[in-house]
Amino acid sequence: MNLYTKNLALLKVTQPSLAKRVELEPLQKIVNVVMSKDGNPIPKIGSISLHSTYNPFKEATDSLLNFNFNSVDQPVIYGLGFGYHVLEILKRTRHKEILVIEPLMAIFQAFLYSVDIKSFVNNTKFIVATPPPKILASNQSENWNVYEHIPSIRISDNFFKRMNLALKTSKVIKKNRIKVLIVNPYYGGSLPTANYCVHALNEMGHHAESVECEKFADGFFAINNSTRNKGNLESLSKQFSSFMGQLIAAKAADFKPDLILALAQAPLTPEAIKNLKLLNVPVAFWFVEDFRNLTYWKDIGSCYDYFFTIQRGEFFEKLSNIGAENHYYLPQACLPSVHRKISLSTEERYKYSSDVSFMGAGYFNRVQSFPRLLDYDFKIWGTEWNLNSILGSRIQNNNKRLNSDNIIKIYNAAKINLNLHSSSFHEGVNPVGDFVNPRTFEIAACGGFQLIDDRSELDDLIDPLKEIVTFSSVDDLCEKIDYYLNNSDEAKVIASCGKERVLKEHTIQHRMEEMLIYIFMDNLDQLTTRFKVEPRDPVGSSIDYAGLSTDLGKYLEQFRGSNDFSIKTMVDQIGVSTGDLSKEELLVLMTDQLVKTESNNG
Amino acid sequence: MVKNILILNMTRMGDLIQTTPTITGLRKKYRDSNITLMVTKDFEEFSKNIPHINKRVVIDIKQFRDRKSLNGFLWIDLYRYLESLLDELKINSYDLLINLSHSKLSAFMISYLGVNNVRGFGCDNNGDRITFDPWMQYFGTEPFNRRINPFNLVEIFTRGAGVTPENNPIHLIPSSIDIKILIKKFSNSIKEGDLIIGMQAGSSIEGRRWSPKSFAILADGLIESLGAKLILFGIDSEKELGEQIVYFSKYKDELIDLTGRTNVDELSSLVKRCSYLITNDTGTMHIAAAVGTTVVGLFFAHAHPYETAPYSPGHVIFQARIECAPCSYGVECNNIVCVHKVQPDHLLLMIQRHHANGVWEITKTMSNMDEINIFNTYIGEDSRLRLRSLIKHPITLNDVIREVYAEHWLKSLGQEMDKNNTHCDIGELLFREYNCNNTDKLCMQIDDKMATLKSLNGIASIGIKLTNEIINLCSSGNLTKTIDAVKILAEEIEKLDKRINQIGFVNPELKSITDMFVKRKENIQENEPTQLALDTKGCYVKLLEECASLVSLLIPVSNKFKSSNVNTFHAVVSSINVEVPGR
Repeated sequence: MNLYTKNLALLKVTQPSLAKRVELEPLQKIVNVVMSKDGNPIPKIGSISLHSTYNPFKEATDSLLNFNFNSVDQPVIYGLGFGYHVLEILKRTRHKEILVIEPLMAIFQAFLYSVDIKSFVNNTKFIVATPPPKILASNQSENWNVYEHIPSIRISDNFFKRMNLALKTSKVIKKNRIKVLIVNPYYGGSLPTANYCVHALNEMGHHAESVECEKFADGFFAINNSTRNKGNLESLSKQFSSFMGQLIAAKAADFKPDLILALAQAPLTPEAIKNLKLLNVPVAFWFVEDFRNLTYWKDIGSCYDYFFTIQRGEFFEKLSNIGAENHYYLPQACLPSVHRKISLSTEERYKYSSDVSFMGAGYFNRVQSFPRLLDYDFKIWGTEWNLNSILGSRIQNNNKRLNSDNIIKIYNAAKINLNLHSSSFHEGVNPVGDFVNPRTFEIAACGGFQLIDDRSELDDLIDPLKEIVTFSSVDDLCEKIDYYLNNSDEAKVIASCGKERVLKEHTIQHRMEEMLIYIFMDNLDQLTTRFKVEPRDPVGSSIDYAGLSTDLGKYLEQFRGSNDFSIKTMVDQIGVSTGDLSKEELLVLMTDQLVKTESNNG
Repeated sequence: MVKNILILNMTRMGDLIQTTPTITGLRKKYRDSNITLMVTKDFEEFSKNIPHINKRVVIDIKQFRDRKSLNGFLWIDLYRYLESLLDELKINSYDLLINLSHSKLSAFMISYLGVNNVRGFGCDNNGDRITFDPWMQYFGTEPFNRRINPFNLVEIFTRGAGVTPENNPIHLIPSSIDIKILIKKFSNSIKEGDLIIGMQAGSSIEGRRWSPKSFAILADGLIESLGAKLILFGIDSEKELGEQIVYFSKYKDELIDLTGRTNVDELSSLVKRCSYLITNDTGTMHIAAAVGTTVVGLFFAHAHPYETAPYSPGHVIFQARIECAPCSYGVECNNIVCVHKVQPDHLLLMIQRHHANGVWEITKTMSNMDEINIFNTYIGEDSRLRLRSLIKHPITLNDVIREVYAEHWLKSLGQEMDKNNTHCDIGELLFREYNCNNTDKLCMQIDDKMATLKSLNGIASIGIKLTNEIINLCSSGNLTKTIDAVKILAEEIEKLDKRINQIGFVNPELKSITDMFVKRKENIQENEPTQLALDTKGCYVKLLEECASLVSLLIPVSNKFKSSNVNTFHAVVSSINVEVPGR
């Protein structure tokens, strides 16, 4: 076994997703490996040698003379090279895990070919060719103690500048409440995601509000029944869209967001997006759809300032071609406050449990392949199934939509949750399926065991050996159902690992953080100016303004952490409290009256 | 002895003028006291015309208006401002506070200032609404029962402050402006001895305004028939109304349009020089009443003469007599038909007659009178300012009830009356001012209300019985047993109160009584069970007394109508006998 194969095998154990990426990535031969005078391999890119060509170990020791270590901060190394400095730092930090950020996959590949990674893997997390926002969203970044490997910085100067900018942006975002306006779709799978975004942002301490377009869904659908004339129908739909655009703009004007985020299927026309841009804040779109099925991105992609996707590669090329250059890969995720392990009553267990469960709509490939599972204790939940088909007896809840509370009961109750991505073209598994659906993360977050069809993006997100189990065909699925029904303890271990991973890296909170960093890296000055004009810690700022030691300042202390602080917050609090009104409470009530009178006059 | 009095009046100009009898009364009652008046910045200047005030405190919110966009801490600035303003007031240790503002702000202020002797709307230590003084409690129920309210706000305020309204007319400190110079400043066409008539076409609420065209037609009539000089008054925002009146008038050059051109002092002086002021229900109207100028008042939409008529005798008031007039409290009318019921001719003929013989009376040439009320303010036998209906409309139950309530509330709410006051004979008065033929139906209605009052009386008696039981239980000492039993009784009382409230809603003529019952209960501050039961009992006792009082007042009125009906019947029979002798 050569060194590369040995290293890769070791990496598969410690960082399987990275190992998979290394395997898939073609070998980039831009790194030239030379031997130092003392016989150690040294990487060179062009004329730049990444370590001393005499004695790289001594160089590493010397370079760390002025670097301060402490037991509290997280050691982070910018630049891997061939890791001589990393080994030196590992020696000093003992058993503490260190993060090594290397922007070039070519360096990492050369490293695996040239250096035995055994001495690294136990306490090193390699972060290779990963966008800075993702690094920060997936790793604790509050107390980084950064060591900069100067030759690596020289080679990837731009990346590390972006890294530092991302770090700065992250700090600003964490310290302040960002106001985000989420534009919901009328209906569909992206609607829960939109709601989860609001929850997640608010849970993160930001201030998110929705434009609840779903409340207008009936009106939107009613247009279809209002006329048979295609031209009139088109005109009416256009006018309805224009109305919705105005409605969204009105809400945005009231809310004064720092960011407007529209979810897939949000009713925003190019004109409406243009109108929103007049507010001078970033307008972003999260296209949580398959770009091959829904193609309206062609019309709106270039209108948005930022375009987030759950697919990349080919889709990125297409987006660039239509002028939507600011695209960014942001996969789906779960919301832990909703998707969680719960205990079920006997009644609920009876209702929701089965050996195999499927929760989702009756798409073509599912309708075609699920009859193969009729020998199992198999329950199908969700909508758009044909109750009169052979699957009819397995369809639960009379084909009606379930809310999130009930869906998580299914995920919690089933021995095996089946997760087959939809396809309108394939009989079973889509052999070239790429993106990963939200159900993947949601089932995992509930601690449910799932069998999922192969997806090319899956490996990067969750380990298909330890954390989830995949199938490549319906035959394969049946085999794995049999196996895991007979090996339920093994299934439990996998589900538990899956849950841990998902909660660590794939929550909507992670995605929102990544998104905010990515967007505001480009708009940091604008954002900080907005904070100055409109402080985001209204309680803190009010206390500062009133004076910390004043009676009012002390009174306001109780409101620290309030989600949406205003006079109304205080008046509401006074309304629910009992006993005599204090001096401060009376003054607040009087002030409230004056403010109301003034706003009525104004 | 009351030494330091604070009066909160953060309302408008008209309300400030209506407060003058209260202030005069307080000055007479507490001769050596210091009276402080709190007003808003908008009316600071005008408040200098209010007599008997030692000190003015101005609450100035205007100063914050321009700073709105500066930062999000404006509320803290306001908070600080209030804190320092009120803390400074606190130092004065007021021993009597009169709140005429009826706003939540004023209620919280009272609580903050911690004055013990308060009259008016306020709040307790928990911030719950409380109204000190029965008259002020009545004031709290009045907007919901305005059609049967007989009292001018001046009378309510004055009695609420514990003084008499009878010998304390509204008045202002006379202006020192030389009227001749002032008139010259605005017009050369007015000569000494000219008949000058003022017009105030604006009003704070647009719906209360008579149309500029009507004002113009009336102005033309007054110029043609009396050779009058017309002055148009109004504030800056009412300029367009002035321009419209001039536009519609045939005598554009004869109209002196001063809208937006006078300050408060000039306005008072000019209004005083006018022989009449034709006006909607406005602050200028109250200025006229205060300076002795005869008012020809136009009351539309919410404006209600029984509440806000100019508080002095000799004025005339026009109002639509239609089912929806005046608008109920909180109503925003979108079809103000009442303004069209009063015609320029109605006013012209009345003014012509009054100018000729000094009496307000209907002329034979006046038509379309079924849907209007014309009232003349006068001092009644009971020394109270009253409205006399100049058109003898067929009497209604509301007309009867309103008069009966006047006597009832004066007795029930307590009053400081002038020694020379005598009571009115309600029946006589109604016969004098209304058409009391065919009152069979009215008699039945009165009987029906008396029956309802008797059943209300019965409910009050049950309330007294239940509260007595609670009092007995509380004094028995066995707490464990008591709590459950008291709970059951309290539930019974709750049901009883719902029933009382319901009776008020079913019988709007009696709602004033049931609302006062509710208001009294709302003002119970006690938490100790025995005292709470005693206070509650007091409310039932008061309800019982009020029902009995109303019945005792209604009986003679009803009897008078009944006997008059019998007489009519006999007369008809007699006339037949006379016309057909020998049959």
